[in-house]
Amino acid sequence: MSRLGVFVDRKTLSNAEQLNALIHCRDVAEGLGHNAEFLFPVDINKIPKMDALFIRARTDPMNITYVAARMAEFHGIPVIDDANSIQICGDKINMYSHLLKKNVALPKTVFLSKSDLSVERVTGLFDTLGTPLIVKEPSTSFSQRVEKVMDIAGFFRVARRFIKMSDWIVVQQFVESTYDWRVGVLGGQLLYACKYTIPSVTFKIQASVNGHIVYCGVESMPESAVPPHVIRLGIDAADAIGNGLYGVDIKNNNGDACVIEVNDNPSLESGEDACYPRVYERIVNHLFAA
Amino acid sequence: MARDSLAIISRDHAYHVIAEDYSYKSEAYYTILARELAGDDIRPSSRAVLDAFVVPVCLERAKHAGIPVVGWGISQAYVPLPAILYGLNYFATASDYFVVQDNTQAKEVIRHITNKGKYPFCYQKLEDTATITTCTAVFGQTTGSCAAIAGYAEELYKIFSIPLVNMVFVRTGDEYALSSLTPTRYTRLSEGERAFLSAYRDHQEFL
Repeated sequence: MSRLGVFVDRKTLSNAEQLNALIHCRDVAEGLGHNAEFLFPVDINKIPKMDALFIRARTDPMNITYVAARMAEFHGIPVIDDANSIQICGDKINMYSHLLKKNVALPKTVFLSKSDLSVERVTGLFDTLGTPLIVKEPSTSFSQRVEKVMDIAGFFRVARRFIKMSDWIVVQQFVESTYDWRVGVLGGQLLYACKYTIPSVTFKIQASVNGHIVYCGVESMPESAVPPHVIRLGIDAADAIGNGLYGVDIKNNNGDACVIEVNDNPSLESGEDACYPRVYERIVNHLFAA
Repeated sequence: MARDSLAIISRDHAYHVIAEDYSYKSEAYYTILARELAGDDIRPSSRAVLDAFVVPVCLERAKHAGIPVVGWGISQAYVPLPAILYGLNYFATASDYFVVQDNTQAKEVIRHITNKGKYPFCYQKLEDTATITTCTAVFGQTTGSCAAIAGYAEELYKIFSIPLVNMVFVRTGDEYALSSLTPTRYTRLSEGERAFLSAYRDHQEFL
């Protein structure tokens, strides 16, 4: 019997929806004839005993998930997310660079280093990218450290804060929309699709408004309801990163689709896969087929 | 070289980035990344610098290359004492390590490096007689009192290709075991190390 390790942390399990999704994942794996067990950070030395590893904790190249992915790779164990995907998707400079290299459609995107932060340079950005601008600290996740700025003073307020965390930051053209498509891709194929409806009080899929966290609405969408060019763009964007599991966020204004970001370790606990009952089965099969 | 400055030199058909700090999202890291994406043979690679400064990954790679390493574990709270502790999260600083001798000290350090228990951390159990030794390697070469670990410095350079790095070893009796790699500052280089770095920058030949 093959052994699937599902790498989790305390935070993953503190959320009831995530816990349910993980239990569902374990049940699916066991239904397929595998033995599935949860591995916590303190269990990291058990990874070499697994036949495949599925990481379900917030990934970052500086945290324990990167160690888990590398441990699996050192021992030739198939892993989602692989270290390369964690490295690329965890850093928006790296991620957008890969997308630009493959000519994947993006909002106009510029990288600024600490030494580029001058009034002349920023004025030029408003001239070329328009107003407002979106400023991102590269390690942002769940829309944290993503800000919309309306003028030069606002830009510097945000940029000075972000540049303390990263020597380069991302500046993007603002693309307005009321929802994002999320295209889930596994091994270069569509895995699921859903719509994230952006709360009216913000421009992000998750934000803190007056001290309260507001979340986007999630609506799983059958493939037939998703514009084909959106699916194609999602797959192309995922392919620019790697061959693993990705959630690609896409805005589709007037048929002009562009990628907002590619996420490794995409959320699967909020109903994203409601129209796709075989999502976990496909993930488990993908891991064991590797 | 001036503080925070970096230099790129071409040698042996590859580009080499010399910097004090190669850490994730630093200027050096992004310089490397941009060159990689442009298809240049650039050293160290962005993967190598990530691996080098995430302690358990560094030790696994070193171990596979035959370098003796300190045994390590991951914990959320408990550590066997005495031990060296390393943060393992987005906010951890690669150059920080903490030697703890008793529970009170350990509790305080763990609270600090885990951001009050939010993250796991890496620990390495020490023998009571163990001491910590640090040495700087410049393109895999050491000078002066670091002769005992010169061979390991060369091996580590073969693995990570980091031109300027501080090596933390645990010495027990006559045995050395790698504990971690950390960044270093130009100002902390000895005269000999500085001369070696200058010579490398000036493309002098080493025989």
